Amino acid sequence: MNYLFAIWAIVAKDVRSELRLRYALNALLMFVVTSLAVIIIAFQDSELNPEILSALFWIVIFFTAMSGLSRIFVSEEERGTILVLQLVASPSAVYFGKLIFNCGLTLFLSSAVTLLYVIVFPTFVIQSLVIFICTVFLGSLGFASASTMIAAIIAKAQAKSTLYTVLAFPVLAPLLITVIYATALSIQGDIWSNSIPQFQIMIGYLCVVVGFSFLMFDYVWKD
Amino acid sequence: MNSLKVLSIILIAFTIFAGITVPMAPQPQSIFEFPDIPGLGETARIIFFHVPAAWVSVLGFLISLYFGFKYLRTKEYNYDIKSVSAAGLGMLFCVLAMVTGSLWAKFAWGSFWNWDPRETSIFILLLIYGAYFALRSALGSDEIRARLSAVYAILAGLTAPFFIFIMPRVIGGLHPGAEGDSSGSIPIAQLKMPLNMYIVFFTGLVGFTLLFIWLLNVRIRAVSVEHQLLIKDQ
Amino acid sequence: MSEFLSQNQLYIVLIVTLFIWIGIVLYLVRLDRKISRLEEQFKED
Repeated sequence: MNYLFAIWAIVAKDVRSELRLRYALNALLMFVVTSLAVIIIAFQDSELNPEILSALFWIVIFFTAMSGLSRIFVSEEERGTILVLQLVASPSAVYFGKLIFNCGLTLFLSSAVTLLYVIVFPTFVIQSLVIFICTVFLGSLGFASASTMIAAIIAKAQAKSTLYTVLAFPVLAPLLITVIYATALSIQGDIWSNSIPQFQIMIGYLCVVVGFSFLMFDYVWKD
Repeated sequence: MNSLKVLSIILIAFTIFAGITVPMAPQPQSIFEFPDIPGLGETARIIFFHVPAAWVSVLGFLISLYFGFKYLRTKEYNYDIKSVSAAGLGMLFCVLAMVTGSLWAKFAWGSFWNWDPRETSIFILLLIYGAYFALRSALGSDEIRARLSAVYAILAGLTAPFFIFIMPRVIGGLHPGAEGDSSGSIPIAQLKMPLNMYIVFFTGLVGFTLLFIWLLNVRIRAVSVEHQLLIKDQ
Repeated sequence: MSEFLSQNQLYIVLIVTLFIWIGIVLYLVRLDRKISRLEEQFKED
């Protein structure tokens, strides 16, 4: 029971400190808006087919995640609160707390991008809603889980933000390829059974990354 | 150890010799002729060098995983040295496999790079280990660097077999052995090669593996001596 | 001379490749010996 309470406490702490300053939320939203603006200006009159729309959708999410999600451990390192966290909760509790927070952040981010895309692009009409929602949900969770682990790894390094992107891209690449393909399918209105292999990959990816992170987090966290 | 080195020299020399000079004929008459596959022709000779390079690369990454694991268990710095050396060699042979593969692709498919699933997966593998070295260069203290790169080496080493063995067979593509390839999914394991080709191929495989062991041994000793020099100066 | 070269192209490739391989081997052996010498220096101290 203590364990669950510890996880909840960490999530609550991060949510509260986030709501206080709204630093990460604002940064993420600004990033999304600016990248979207560039895309709109570039693609003003051209026809955007499903593959391009899908790729752009996930590119925006990917780079926004790269700019924002590493804060979860880097901010602790900068504020010097790592020792307190190590004392107060077990490593896996810290991991799950941070993971849940990051998942929430990424889900918020992807919903915002979805909303903006629907408003801005007239051709972004999703014909199989079920596939789309499942893809975005699982994709966001996958992004969050990989990002959390890598954020923990780079927390003690120098040149954090470039290193974060360099490390995260190859790890996220299989997920990225899969969700872009699945989202393109959902825009085109494909049937559910055609996208089952993609969902298998997404769920498999999630299980592998969370499982691996859970096992290895102790070594990354403690000295 | 010395016998390993001599053996590797001889085996690879033999593979080079046989791989290049044994003629190809449509209907092989004797053991001194390779069969001529209509689509590939002489370019099939690449199999003696390209596949062992890819195999040795995966071997290097898996050994790096193993030593990373041992480091986390025992915290002995020697294991970290062994882990980096193996990863470096894995990278080298990954690049070699990519280069030989794209040279072959120019002759077989017309262009150097096609984003075929197997090409893409080996490229991502290269990026993963590139990130490994970027991570190492960004960390200051020996102990933290060893610990974090051991964790990353384990993660990356787990993905390597997936990228090399599983992904290219599941997704359809141009490379031999992809989904939908009529000649079967694992030409080597399914014994599709005639015996004389097999002999040359396995000689090459063993020779390259022994070469890898030699290279790894030399690298580990070099880094260890360097490390000892550093400790002595302190 | 050029006719000989163009007819036996395969063997030219073979000889070049073997040369490269011998070069690599000699470099490796030189490295190996250098490191052995360094290691012995350490053992003596």
